[in-house]
Amino acid sequence: MSTFAALRGQLLDAATAFAGGPDALSEILAGLVDDVDRALREELEIFPVCHHSPASALAMTRRLRDRQPKVIYLELCEDLRPLLEELRNCRLPVALQAFATELEGFPPGSGPLSVVAPLTEASAEYQAIAYALDTPGVELVLVDRSADHVFQWLPQEEAEPVAAEHDGDLHGDAVGVEVGDLRPRFAELEEHLLRHGKVRHWSEWWDQYVEQPLAGADYDTYRQAMALIGSLFRRLGPGGERLAGDEERERHMWTRIREHLAVSGADPATCLYVCGAFHAVSTVPEFGLAADAPAYTITPATATRWLYGLIPSSHSAIEAQFGLAQGSVSIAAATWAKATTRGGLTPYRLRGQRGTRSRTTPVRAAVPAPAEQVTDRLSGFLVTPPVLDGLDEAELRGWCVDLVRLARRNGYLASTADAIAVFETSILLAGLRNRARPTPYDFQDAAVTCIEKDVVPGRRDIRRLCEILLGGDRIGEVGYDALPPLARDVYDRLEPLGLDPGRRTQQRALLDLRADPELVPCSDLLWVLRQLLPEGAVRPIMGARRLGERPIQESWDLAIGRHQRSIVELGYEGVTVEQVLEQRLRRKVREPQAGAGVALAAVEDAILYLGGRRFADELGNRAVELLAAERTVDDAPEVLRRIRRLLAHYRATQPGLPAWCEAFVTAGYAHYCTLLPTAFVDEDTGVRQVGAMLGFLFSMESLALSLGCDRVQLELAVRQAHPQEPAKMALLWAAQTQLGLLSQARLRARCDELLANPLVIPSFPLYLSGFVQALEPFPALAPFVVEVLSKAFARLPDEVLLPWLPTLITTLRRHALELVPVLVREAGRTFPASLAELDEWVAPWERPALSAVPARPTGGPVAGLLAGHPQACDAVAALLGCVGEWPTSAVSIAAAPAVGELLTRHPAATGAVAALLTG
Amino acid sequence: MTNEMLRAPAEVKYAEELDWLESVDDGPKPFSWRLSPRMVRLFVLGSERSDGLEREIPQKWFGERSFVERSIVTLASDRGLLLIGDPGTGKSWLAELLAAAICRNSTLGVQGTAGTTEDHIKYSWNVSMVIAKGQSRASMIPSPIMTAMEQGVIGRFEELTRSTSDVQDALISILSEKYISIPELDTDNIVFAKPGFSVIATANSRDRGVNDLSSALKRRFNFVRIPVVTSKASEAEIVRFRTTELLRRHRIELDLPPTLLDILLQSFADLRAAAASATSEDEKLESALSTAEQIGVLEDAILHSNFFGDRTLRAQTLGGALVGSLARRTPEDLAILNKYWHGVVEPRSKKEGGEWTDFLEGGRQAISTLS
Repeated sequence: MSTFAALRGQLLDAATAFAGGPDALSEILAGLVDDVDRALREELEIFPVCHHSPASALAMTRRLRDRQPKVIYLELCEDLRPLLEELRNCRLPVALQAFATELEGFPPGSGPLSVVAPLTEASAEYQAIAYALDTPGVELVLVDRSADHVFQWLPQEEAEPVAAEHDGDLHGDAVGVEVGDLRPRFAELEEHLLRHGKVRHWSEWWDQYVEQPLAGADYDTYRQAMALIGSLFRRLGPGGERLAGDEERERHMWTRIREHLAVSGADPATCLYVCGAFHAVSTVPEFGLAADAPAYTITPATATRWLYGLIPSSHSAIEAQFGLAQGSVSIAAATWAKATTRGGLTPYRLRGQRGTRSRTTPVRAAVPAPAEQVTDRLSGFLVTPPVLDGLDEAELRGWCVDLVRLARRNGYLASTADAIAVFETSILLAGLRNRARPTPYDFQDAAVTCIEKDVVPGRRDIRRLCEILLGGDRIGEVGYDALPPLARDVYDRLEPLGLDPGRRTQQRALLDLRADPELVPCSDLLWVLRQLLPEGAVRPIMGARRLGERPIQESWDLAIGRHQRSIVELGYEGVTVEQVLEQRLRRKVREPQAGAGVALAAVEDAILYLGGRRFADELGNRAVELLAAERTVDDAPEVLRRIRRLLAHYRATQPGLPAWCEAFVTAGYAHYCTLLPTAFVDEDTGVRQVGAMLGFLFSMESLALSLGCDRVQLELAVRQAHPQEPAKMALLWAAQTQLGLLSQARLRARCDELLANPLVIPSFPLYLSGFVQALEPFPALAPFVVEVLSKAFARLPDEVLLPWLPTLITTLRRHALELVPVLVREAGRTFPASLAELDEWVAPWERPALSAVPARPTGGPVAGLLAGHPQACDAVAALLGCVGEWPTSAVSIAAAPAVGELLTRHPAATGAVAALLTG
Repeated sequence: MTNEMLRAPAEVKYAEELDWLESVDDGPKPFSWRLSPRMVRLFVLGSERSDGLEREIPQKWFGERSFVERSIVTLASDRGLLLIGDPGTGKSWLAELLAAAICRNSTLGVQGTAGTTEDHIKYSWNVSMVIAKGQSRASMIPSPIMTAMEQGVIGRFEELTRSTSDVQDALISILSEKYISIPELDTDNIVFAKPGFSVIATANSRDRGVNDLSSALKRRFNFVRIPVVTSKASEAEIVRFRTTELLRRHRIELDLPPTLLDILLQSFADLRAAAASATSEDEKLESALSTAEQIGVLEDAILHSNFFGDRTLRAQTLGGALVGSLARRTPEDLAILNKYWHGVVEPRSKKEGGEWTDFLEGGRQAISTLS
């Protein structure tokens, strides 16, 4: 059986199955012959390719070595051309990216737009690029539609790709474009081919029926076969929007080619047009240089500003993006490596290209070049002998042995016997599947059959290990010189840490900032990156950045290499990370749903990460605006926490408060005073929010009053509040007590009444909740809260108390920082510390009241001083309107012998005070 | 002969097809195989037009092609084949088909149970004959496995993990040395396996941990895991195939309306989804909801309508049969079914009407009878 007989059978079978009748079949077959003939007869040499196909790459290399074209037209977005020069600084696979956030001409909300075109080494397009860029006098022209047109022509339903961000997803939610997309256009045809080809997935079908037979084929055969497949898929395809889009692209490409030929005056005989096999057999009227179709006008691009860059890519990302089977791109890479070694072919590589191993001398003499003088094309299609030699067997044996070793390292109980079994099974499977030699897919199946048992002992199963063995997932890296300025800046600034930014593993950085103060800028940068990069890219293990703290030591887990794409994409936003952060913060506070809390958080971030007061002030002013415009008090707790922290920071570090802080406090005082009565009655506003409002009003009171606010406003607000809920009622009582509108004795009496009233007892815990929340705004009330809690625990029946306990515990846990320390400190002061004391302990509120008038000090230096100089006291008393008398029995200094003795021995101090007072 | 058996083994049932395949088979055959590996695959998975055969071979086992290929290749190699999977995934059926295609004998099997002993795997003695004539090959009763060795054919071991470890270990020497020695005899005391001998064992993945295989035995088996069928199309195909066979066996002439098949498949799919999202065992039906279970439900309904109904399969009967087959534990299973009936079937019957309404009614009645 000839190499191509199987492929021919497959295609013929598919054509028969989908033609829908004998007439249609003959029409299709005639059409196929026409298509192929037209493509091959075209004056401009067309090179049909398929994506990630080593056979295409091999044919391309041979073709370029054989006859060197002067101009290469490539099916790739035309605006990506400048990026190609940067490829030599990268380790493939990388993806060319066009990115736009500021959209014009696209529906709002559809951004950011991103197009990626991944490139691997085992591809025909890379061979063409490498040849064209490194050969003097050769021009490379990209002719496909620009990134802007990709989105303009995108069918609407595809315009919003579902972003499924996961670990291996290096491309994000970008739209992928690739050279030579060749795949059945409808599911039935693909399924038909898979079923009849007795394979599992498309990549395997392609490998078995096209890739392997074409690997050793001559150029003409290659072109014929590819054009044939392209033609079949085109003719059997469903048409519709997708075909219309393809035809549009073809018109675009041919128009660009014609334009270039006209301008440059190049001889079409020295040019090569590299495009997907699907486009090679295009039927648009613009096809061919001799076409006399009316001039095609390319629609203008929108005004969207596109930015370009390179991002790292990987085999698995390519597979995921283009729906290829897992591991297929890796297998293609392995096949390419094998084919170049075996064929003694030197592939083109960009000078200075990183990451590729230097080629070893071919182990075998070159296989004689396929007969060029095949005149009869059809027989050329059928006669090439299958390549079978000892090398395949040795390779398979090597795989088996390596796999067993790998499996053992991953916890499998695999032995040499398994290696033998895998080898044998691979050959048997290949025989059963009608293959001349075991493909990597057969090997993988055999390995799973022989080694995989009922459980996977480690993290990776045998299928995954096979993929690793066959080259694994190769991940590209964009070289330093090809990075945008921001990324280069980041790399430069992280250099003092001595880490390798290219490593994809996690690296630990230890920063002893006290010993090495020069690392402080690194630490600053890391904190900024932490704000900007996705979770896991930079992660502090030890150390924190908070207002009022100075870092001493920090340790970080860095995975910069793995998140290179994110850093590159940051580069589209600005020139330095600080600039990007500034923009983001500014954007954050301008968002329609932003509140004062968000703005204060932004101020805090600006102080922490950007330094400089100007920007923080700008954000602060925005916070004032936002607060004044707020109609709800939902984020009052957040606002309170943050403004307290900021005030403390400014008081500690600056001579005076910034103007915006003062404005914020006065605006907040007025704002919360106004909203307080509503908040007390509003059912949607929680106790916590009201507590926070009170906290703001009372703890900022002195500052607000000094800035011109009026206390009457607060008193009025509290008087106007008439809450219904018990918890808010308790809060209100607490506020009244604080304002002096309600005495503590009265408050205590009220609580006792509640506890004594059996009708109210079930709702008493709600009052308690209110009092607990009052701890934050009124810390002075803590002894009372402890008292009420103790009484409740003592007196409430279990059926009331127990259901409420979880609420208490969760509340305390949620607001542990604000509530717990006050409560614990007070409880510690109230309750006895040891068991022995407990026996005699009486709760402070149950102790018999001491005599109302505290014993007046009968002696001592203070009394002596006051008695000696009564004028000041009298003046104060007169001002306050108190009438009092000095006790007659003034105590003489001599009454306290110790003091007298001290004063006699050291008269200087007393003398000085006396001099001051009298002088 | 087929007519005299309640259930004919595959080699009898498909004897004519196997004969024909053997006559046209020109591929290389390993050992004493009756068919080449490609023909075995074709017998199990059915023929395609591209195979270029004169007659069509129907598909008999529904599942991924690579499982069958891997199984065949394993049998052609030195190792035994262990089919592992959830109950009702068609392991035993695949084993039977393979044995029938390869050596025309699928009946040399041992059923693994807690009571299986080493004698069942190796040999035992005809006690009266031993007393009368002493120990000899004549008074020895060879096990099915030993017979398979002697004949160079495939032996089967069902539910390998149900038998105890010492019994399992008896297989190790059989699979590696390929002979059984009979120390009781002085001469002719070794039975060597002829070429072509291999073992197909099946194991239930739900029984894992009961009698785990030793690593020595694991090494001697290639594992092929058969997953539960999740594709609706192939599941419909399996149910139709097996039910037709059952109808033929019971000599019942009854139509299986496609809408009812859809209802059955849909309700199983719903229940599986519910089981997958359940957090505790109590929220799951005890049944594994396998394809075999579906066939059981359908068979139940068919028999019921044939003997107690009007010889037409109705949705109402199907609903009753589904509840009857799946409600094993009261109240847990009944509660789940009740929830399903009210939460899913009822809205659906309101929306789609037709057979679903009858199905709803039948299920409701069955639930109220059982609870």
